[in-house]
Amino acid sequence: MSADLNAPAQRTDASQAATRASVPTPREPVSPEALAAPAAVAHASDRGARIAAVAIALAWHVVIALPAVLTARAEFAAPAVVLGTWVLVAVTGAVAGVRLLQGSPLPPWPLAALLLVVDAAVFAAAGERQLFAAANWVWGTLGWFFVLAVWGQRVIGLIALLSTHALIALVAVLGHGAEPADVARYVMYVYGTFSLPVAVFVGSTVIVGLARERAAVSAAGHAMAAERDAAERGRQERRDRLALVSSAAGRVLGDLAAGQADPGDPEVQRRCMLAAARLRRLIAESDDVPDPLLHELRAAADLAERSGLPIDLVTIGTPPPLPVEVRRRLADPLTGTLADAREWARLTVVSGPDEVVVSLVTPDREGPEATGPPAGEHVYGPVQYLYERDGNIRWAQTRWRR
Amino acid sequence: MGADPVAAVSGDRPVGVAIVDDHPVVVEGVRAWLATEPRLTVLATGDDPDEVLREAPDADVVLLDLRLHGRMALDKLAELSAAGRRVVVYSEHTDPQTMLAALDAGAAAFLAKHEGREHCVETVLAAASDRPYVPPALAGAMVGDPRPDRPMLSDKEREALLLWFQSMSKASVARRMQISEHTVKQYVDRARIKYTRAGRPAATKAALLARAIEDGLVRPEEIGIYRSQATHDRPTP
Repeated sequence: MSADLNAPAQRTDASQAATRASVPTPREPVSPEALAAPAAVAHASDRGARIAAVAIALAWHVVIALPAVLTARAEFAAPAVVLGTWVLVAVTGAVAGVRLLQGSPLPPWPLAALLLVVDAAVFAAAGERQLFAAANWVWGTLGWFFVLAVWGQRVIGLIALLSTHALIALVAVLGHGAEPADVARYVMYVYGTFSLPVAVFVGSTVIVGLARERAAVSAAGHAMAAERDAAERGRQERRDRLALVSSAAGRVLGDLAAGQADPGDPEVQRRCMLAAARLRRLIAESDDVPDPLLHELRAAADLAERSGLPIDLVTIGTPPPLPVEVRRRLADPLTGTLADAREWARLTVVSGPDEVVVSLVTPDREGPEATGPPAGEHVYGPVQYLYERDGNIRWAQTRWRR
Repeated sequence: MGADPVAAVSGDRPVGVAIVDDHPVVVEGVRAWLATEPRLTVLATGDDPDEVLREAPDADVVLLDLRLHGRMALDKLAELSAAGRRVVVYSEHTDPQTMLAALDAGAAAFLAKHEGREHCVETVLAAASDRPYVPPALAGAMVGDPRPDRPMLSDKEREALLLWFQSMSKASVARRMQISEHTVKQYVDRARIKYTRAGRPAATKAALLARAIEDGLVRPEEIGIYRSQATHDRPTP
């Protein structure tokens, strides 16, 4: 049989065997998606809060402030300034809101500085009579635009902006010759402008944090459940195989004990060897850390074993995550050689963080070369392949170095 | 192969072996293996190390099944090794951690139960003369040792261990590495001697080391740290 014909056939068989044996598919390393899940939940929760903040700011600006400004426009000290700044903030606020919802907010501090300038201008332009009226729109609206400007920053930034706003208002109030009643009104207004924006700002931060935490907890729970399921499947699989292997070993032992089988008979010895090799592999196998390379090699070993070849598969260490191409170059030449093996085979895998060496040793015998590349050393990218026969053994080895 | 392992064993007396295993069929199997070698004689067998050694206090080598009555006898192994008993551990538990733990506890050697008669006889003979013998399974555990404080092996020592583990044929390793079989064995044995550093000090480790120096396997100046352990004048760091 030519190498070209045999190699693909072998691969197909191996993959079918893996399916037939329903060996639990090895778990890939925790996927980035799994890690991103809590972040996605937090993001969704944060988006809700942003929409609310933008809606409050713009609605307040348009529905409450605009009619008041228009009604009282004749009574302002400088109506053009009050109206002009209203338009400026409406446009800037709309842009800032859209950018915030798109996830690319305007730079916070220049925007905040602009708002503070508007603040001072409106207080100066509103005039004494409109100081505490709804027409002095900065009282009601500006706090919400501060929230939009510093969204995602620390709350101390928002408090600093609101304090500056309070300071500007105080200067205005005192500048217009404040009476005791004005001071009392001032305190109430400052309280009103502080409390709601700060509450919304802090509340949304807390909710996002909680959502992130809850999502992380639930993701961890799911991962644990999945792992438990995989372990349970693996255990069931091994239990089934143990039953199979035990019955095969039991039959040989039973025949020997009953005197129906002759220990000198090569066929009986072969059955014993096969049963022992199977038991040994079952004992040595630990799928605690499933790995795709070991999984592939195990499937190939299972296949060889089913066709009656006693095979030892010994693994030391756990391979690091390897690109598919490297994995294929490590496993394929050996699974090809394994198909030609007679009598016995020893398959070993030694893995470290920077090196994985896979080796297959079978007794040498007369006859054609094993399928696969010719004897000698070959280098395929980061994987080295060595094959030799010395009359005693046939030895194929693949080696990957980082 | 290197020097004959028993060359230095005193006199004409065969090496006395005690077998500790809780499966009578295994005891009988091992006894049959050892019986093929005239230089070995089985003095006592049983499933309790203390009883077996009471029966055969002069045993040169104890073959100890690591799993007795369902539990790992690592403590017992450490106790026997500290008392200077040459213990060859044999077990079907061939995961690398168990094998390295057995070496740390002072086992003269670790033999996988499936490794067969030849390795068993070789290991016991080597242990009797305080010389190292590294069966392939143990070589695999040493070459894949992931512990950060593992002994530093040279590239040649690692390669010899790896190829010996893979092929189980020193002749094939020699051909692959283009060196003599004797040199292959030296590399493997030197790696084993470096493991006398790992774990607690034990009389058996000191004896292995002293013999390795005597045989010229390692030079005294290579081993500074080992000497202090060999003479027991201060604890190893």
